[in-house]
Amino acid sequence: MLGTYFYHEIVRKTVVSFGTLFNNIYVKHKDGNNADLSEIKVPLAYGPAQKFLARIEQQAELNKAVTMSLPRMSFEMNNISYDPSRKVSVTQTFKTTDDNNRIKKVFMPVPYNLGFELNIMTKLNDDALQIIEQILPYFQPAFNITIELIDSIGEKRDVPIVLDSISFQDDYEGDFSTRRALIYTLQFTAKTYLFGPIADSTDGIIRKVQVDYYTDTDTLRSKREVRYTATPTARKDYDAGDHALLAENVDLTETILTVNDTSSLSVNDRVVVNSEIMKITKKTSNTITVKRAYDSTIAGEHSVGTKVNLLNSADDALIVPGDSFGFDESTDFFESGADFSPTRKLDL
Amino acid sequence: MALNPFFLQGSSSEQRLVQSLINEQLRMYGVEVTYIPRKLINVDNIFTEVESSKFDDNYSIEAYVNTYEGYAGGGDILTKFGMSLKDEVTLTISKERFEDFISPFLAAEPDSEVPLSTRPREGDLIYFPLGQRLFEVKFVEHEDPFYQLGKNYVYQLKCELFEYEDEVIDTSISDIDRQVEEEGYITTLRMIGVGVTAEASALINTGYIREIFLNNDGSGFTSPPLITFEDPLDNTGTTATAVGVLTTKGGITSLKEILITNAGAGYTTIPNILIQGGGGTGAAATCSINTAIVGLGSTGVTAITVDSGGAGYPLVPTVTIARPDPGATATATVGASGTITEFTITSGGQAYVAAPTVTISTPTRSGVLDSIRSVNAGSGYQVNETVRLVPNNVSMGGTEAIIRIDSVNGSGGVTGFTTVYGGYEFEVSSNPSNDFYEARGGSGSDNFRLMVDSVQTVTGTTATGTAVVSAGSTISSITITNPGSGYTKSPHADAPTVTISNENQFKNPGAVQATAVAIVNSSDQVSAIRITNPGSGYLSNPTVTISNPTTIVGIGTYQFNEVITGSDSGATARVKSWDDRSNVLKISYVSGTFREGENVVGSASSATYSVSSYSADDTYDKYTENDEIESEADDILDFTESNPFGVY
Repeated sequence: MLGTYFYHEIVRKTVVSFGTLFNNIYVKHKDGNNADLSEIKVPLAYGPAQKFLARIEQQAELNKAVTMSLPRMSFEMNNISYDPSRKVSVTQTFKTTDDNNRIKKVFMPVPYNLGFELNIMTKLNDDALQIIEQILPYFQPAFNITIELIDSIGEKRDVPIVLDSISFQDDYEGDFSTRRALIYTLQFTAKTYLFGPIADSTDGIIRKVQVDYYTDTDTLRSKREVRYTATPTARKDYDAGDHALLAENVDLTETILTVNDTSSLSVNDRVVVNSEIMKITKKTSNTITVKRAYDSTIAGEHSVGTKVNLLNSADDALIVPGDSFGFDESTDFFESGADFSPTRKLDL
Repeated sequence: MALNPFFLQGSSSEQRLVQSLINEQLRMYGVEVTYIPRKLINVDNIFTEVESSKFDDNYSIEAYVNTYEGYAGGGDILTKFGMSLKDEVTLTISKERFEDFISPFLAAEPDSEVPLSTRPREGDLIYFPLGQRLFEVKFVEHEDPFYQLGKNYVYQLKCELFEYEDEVIDTSISDIDRQVEEEGYITTLRMIGVGVTAEASALINTGYIREIFLNNDGSGFTSPPLITFEDPLDNTGTTATAVGVLTTKGGITSLKEILITNAGAGYTTIPNILIQGGGGTGAAATCSINTAIVGLGSTGVTAITVDSGGAGYPLVPTVTIARPDPGATATATVGASGTITEFTITSGGQAYVAAPTVTISTPTRSGVLDSIRSVNAGSGYQVNETVRLVPNNVSMGGTEAIIRIDSVNGSGGVTGFTTVYGGYEFEVSSNPSNDFYEARGGSGSDNFRLMVDSVQTVTGTTATGTAVVSAGSTISSITITNPGSGYTKSPHADAPTVTISNENQFKNPGAVQATAVAIVNSSDQVSAIRITNPGSGYLSNPTVTISNPTTIVGIGTYQFNEVITGSDSGATARVKSWDDRSNVLKISYVSGTFREGENVVGSASSATYSVSSYSADDTYDKYTENDEIESEADDILDFTESNPFGVY
């Protein structure tokens, strides 16, 4: 039943993101005159390790002169639990696009809490306090990080990291047979989301809508007479094709624009200048008269040298899912008595 | 009840015998260890802990290993903080030997560093040579064995392996110091071995892009857009090229400027500029082209070719393009009395429209004759003639003094004289018989000799002059307004120099000096030069000068454990290791931040190299994963609000 292979590495990404919060913490030491003596970027690592690898890497020389160097921080994931408080309906889906602008269908993610433990071991109490003070002010008690959980669909989620508790161990009492150990332990919960498989969607942009109107409900005998067609039109220049350049500064209301060359533009063409779409109503060799703020865009001021990009059918064909676009409508009348064949896409 | 008076319970001679036997046994069956006392640098008196300490002394002492079957303790274990070695050892040392040979030296140290000297101290280190390990004394047991013959003879040192942080271990015994060579927080300075000055040459042309005006800087760029210029109309020129430079302010990335890579040639009308791609919108720019300048060339710097990228440029060097209108140069002639008598124009310069300021160097001479006296009057001299004195051991000319003869006796011997010009670089004569100056010139036959009693340093009066601009916009002459005094004659190095100003205020405004900026690649080489202003009025290809790298040749070998200092930042660190093949300097104990391009000098070796880059990540410790975590997180984390954990 289960078993569609997928692996988004979400848990791993959450572990890495959690770790990176603490990878730039410093400890400074001063001399008796309060001048800086040294600073240490506190080493951080994911605690659990393959034993043989840890041994051969960290103790390549069997005769190691010292026990270890401090301070150090380690973190590890120690708990995974379902978070019912963030539950949403499992049958809900949302659509998104992948890197190649193909539409994908994604089920709503399942909320999971990952428990983390950050351990800080220092030689000096002062070192531990320097580290703790650099961490705690950011957690009230949560700190949000934005993680790209699934890169193929660019799915970014805010993951709150909640500081649950702080405890520390300071074994300074007792005889001298054991060394003092100073270990601070911070417990965190990362409220992340787990995603299921990402399916291809059959959906896409509808490139054409065509409706034929009949004069009667008896479609066998009556003939269609009117055809309404709607196609999407681009609102930006996808193909970086034909264009002219503004030869003057244009204010908010000016409708006769001087350009360097109008040979590639025609009356009734739509053009886009910055993000304002205009429709050409008239042209001379170096001016175009336009309808400003066309297609519900907002008129803006444009500088000399700005491109006047032609929006044509080549751009319309390049519209990708997720972009906003307009519509081009047309209405045709028939008297031929032919019928439209949806399979052959012809009037027969 | 009192003890039995017929038994001694240990006489002092018996106690000495036992101590001697113990000392002998330890010398026969012991191991020679090194006792390294801890010196306190900074103590926190509230939390009662030593924040910083150093270990820079060493004392050899024989010790018996109590745990002869091996180390005690937990052995090697894997903890959540990586590998940890829990070895422990108990060593027995002679009380007498410690008190005789180590305590006196410890007592001589300042109390603030070594507060206790009478006994071995917890916290001190023992180097155990068999296992090459540094043990820290955890506890000193002084009563085991318990008062044999009424006295204790040994200390038992209970030790465990040292927990290292950033303590300086500099005992001068290499075997010991190098035990921590790869321990602790180690960062990397990449140094520059050899720096080579980059070279470039400029091309000039006519009909070029004079200036680019960024009318709208646009927004939303993710990469620099493509900047293209229209071709020149007649299609015989060269199309200009340029690159966009982005800047981000308040989260909006826009075009900061457009830098010319080739200013083109043959433009007669202003071309349009297209700004495409880069993910942004709204950017627009226009430009101007040059027009011919009357009396000057109509060309500007249109392209700069990097002939040699040089080496050792972690910082962007400055690029200087010579002016289109060279300045005038002149020399001054110094007369017999140290005044300027004449200015000679060696080059009239170009494009002067107003008289430039003329600056003559300030005269300063040392070793000028102050007090002199005659040691031999000579003969055959005449009143009012002059003779010359030439300083000894001076190969350069222009230093001789001039003496005028005021009176002579019957045989023409000099009886009175005056120093007209005190010369230069004379030394005080030590005795009249063989350290004197002989007068040269004049009509005397038997030489007039003088000895110098004292010399002085003279600062004369600075001369002034006014430049005269000719009809051809060059400097034709300089009129002396004040001849000054105290100058040294050429060819001496301190002969006066004349500087004629070449600043814009005196020049034709159509002559504009071109400017450019260098682009440095990741290999610290100059990869390209972009023109910020092509200038105007050039008549020939100007020279392009690129500033030198900080270090031309790095010298020396950094020594282990020496302190290094950044010449600019003042940052300090200690050397862990130096690889002279890859020029990688591993350092620890870092205070401050090393800057790219500054020199780093070793305190003991005096080795000097300049910094190519500094990385604060410890990439040598096999436990540390900071760098790996960060680089993996960079791909998945959206830190548009920047890492709040970034600054200490």
